[in-house]
Amino acid sequence: MSQADNEIRDAYVELRGVNKRFGDFYASKNVNISIPKGRLVGLLGSSGSGKTTILRMIAGLETPDSGEIIIDGRVVNDIPGSERGVGFVFQSYALFRYMTVYDNIAFGLRVKKVDAATIDKRVRELLKLINCEGLDERFPSQLSGGQRQRVAFARALAPNPQLLLLDEPFAAIDAKVRLELRTWLRNMITQLGITSIFVTHDQDEAIEVADEIIVTNQGQIEQTGTPRELYVNPKTPFVASFIGNTQPVANYDRFRYFDSLGAGTRAIIRPEFVAVFKKGENQRFVKSAEQGVVEDVIFRGSNLEIKTRIHDVVISSTRSINDSILEPGEPVDVFIYRLIVVDGDKIVVQNNKSLKEESVFI
Amino acid sequence: MRLRKENAVLKWTLIITCELFLALFLILPLVFILETAFAQGLAAYWNSITDQYAIKAALLTLKATLWAVGVNTLFGLSAAWCITKFAFRGKKIISTFIDLPVTVSPIIAGLIYVLTFGRQSFLFPLLDKYDIEIIFAAPGIILATIFVTFPFISRELIPVLTAQGFDEEEAAALMGARTWTIFRKVTLPHVKWALLYGVVLCTARAMGEFGAVSVLSGHLRGKTNTLPLYIELLYQGYDFTGAFAASSILVVLTIVVLVLRVWLEGRGNKDLDILK
Repeated sequence: MSQADNEIRDAYVELRGVNKRFGDFYASKNVNISIPKGRLVGLLGSSGSGKTTILRMIAGLETPDSGEIIIDGRVVNDIPGSERGVGFVFQSYALFRYMTVYDNIAFGLRVKKVDAATIDKRVRELLKLINCEGLDERFPSQLSGGQRQRVAFARALAPNPQLLLLDEPFAAIDAKVRLELRTWLRNMITQLGITSIFVTHDQDEAIEVADEIIVTNQGQIEQTGTPRELYVNPKTPFVASFIGNTQPVANYDRFRYFDSLGAGTRAIIRPEFVAVFKKGENQRFVKSAEQGVVEDVIFRGSNLEIKTRIHDVVISSTRSINDSILEPGEPVDVFIYRLIVVDGDKIVVQNNKSLKEESVFI
Repeated sequence: MRLRKENAVLKWTLIITCELFLALFLILPLVFILETAFAQGLAAYWNSITDQYAIKAALLTLKATLWAVGVNTLFGLSAAWCITKFAFRGKKIISTFIDLPVTVSPIIAGLIYVLTFGRQSFLFPLLDKYDIEIIFAAPGIILATIFVTFPFISRELIPVLTAQGFDEEEAAALMGARTWTIFRKVTLPHVKWALLYGVVLCTARAMGEFGAVSVLSGHLRGKTNTLPLYIELLYQGYDFTGAFAASSILVVLTIVVLVLRVWLEGRGNKDLDILK
């Protein structure tokens, strides 16, 4: 994201040259972020990449060593978190264990000395929004994981924050409920139109929920973009290997229709770049396909993972469970659509040359 | 089936051992105390416990206990709070020193105060000037009691506060709650039972303290004698009825504390069940 872009985008939340150290550990190194109003942004990175620190600095739970944090045009470095107009959903939810659901949600408003009638109205409204009507007298320990998460969400929203921050919002929930909640949260935030930033280490979650993803690595921002941009057009080797299911391949020019971009370069291949065909099944790529042998077929529930050996390299790809069955040891046609070539710090996406040739033929 | 049989044998052996042990070391002496206390009849017992010196000793014991519990509640809360919620230099040293009274002999604790506030101390001229009496007077007894009991409350609180983490406090602070509100509404409910439990332990220990108090008291009847010291005094004077009658007061107080403890534990666990 260039400087010019930042200004055009009319940022609601901005971090400028932010640094933060914990002892010898650099949690943030010259972090620059700009988030437009109303956007739902995912901070994606592995643990220790500094994503939670960024979130906590925006909330005012940590103070940056240098750099500026700007919310709604105001430098908030010296403004306490409680006056920044943020709602924060903790990874552990941090619901007040000794208060009922009602009191939890009402807490922020009571602290602000809002009158009881207004509080009651707001709490009822939020309980309805999170589908927890009738649970108001329960204690957090009497709720399911999903309900706790939604109560935490309601509690953060109660004082009408302009910015909602969520730290690993789905980490503590079991897989099935997590998928439902993702969709629910995404719809809810879109409906409310509140600017939101959430932290996650799960790329599927980031890709599914966020409008825009900020990838962090070792305290730095690697790339910012829509999920699709990151997927199709990774800008750094880290993003290329972090997003998607990746496998590195050396000597990638051994594949037909791919050229080496020089010594020291390596390629990253993803399952969706590869198509495996049963002999005779392949119509379109029959001339340009590689010859491979099926090593293993793994059932993945919604699809099959096929491991195929081509030129001494084993490459994974997926196949629909509706396609004809492949057996280990079976010779197959393999077509590789594209590779991501890593050349030092640079990334080049290389398409299979035969695609151009064929399109000329057709 | 052999394993099960062995387990049954083990189980009953252990149960009987425990029961015998308790009977021998606890029940029997307690019965003996009461028996001796009432050996010369109810009237003698009544005279012994309503003796003005006995009453004064009991009142002094209560006074020292109340002071110790009050001061240590404040100290325990602050120490536990600062040790668990803040990172600072010297934290290890503080948390090690808190344990000191448990490991050091109470006699030494008493001597420390004699040296600090006694005639040979550099503080003495100052105390003398303002007419402050510490050793061989009630303040010394209170100080000694505070010293020997101060780890009890903080040691109960520290594990609870550590387990709790910071999240809830941070959440409350982000919503604009003030420190006092956070303490009252978020932190205190968590530590309530641990705190009360600490208070109970502290009370029990404070009432029974002998060593440190003995060094500092000066043994002035009706002035600086606490119940344990008074009992010792009667006992040394061969007044067995008196000694055991006074003991029975302490025993009753201890039983009250014990019942409180059991009740608190029950309440605390019940709370934990609902609000784990």
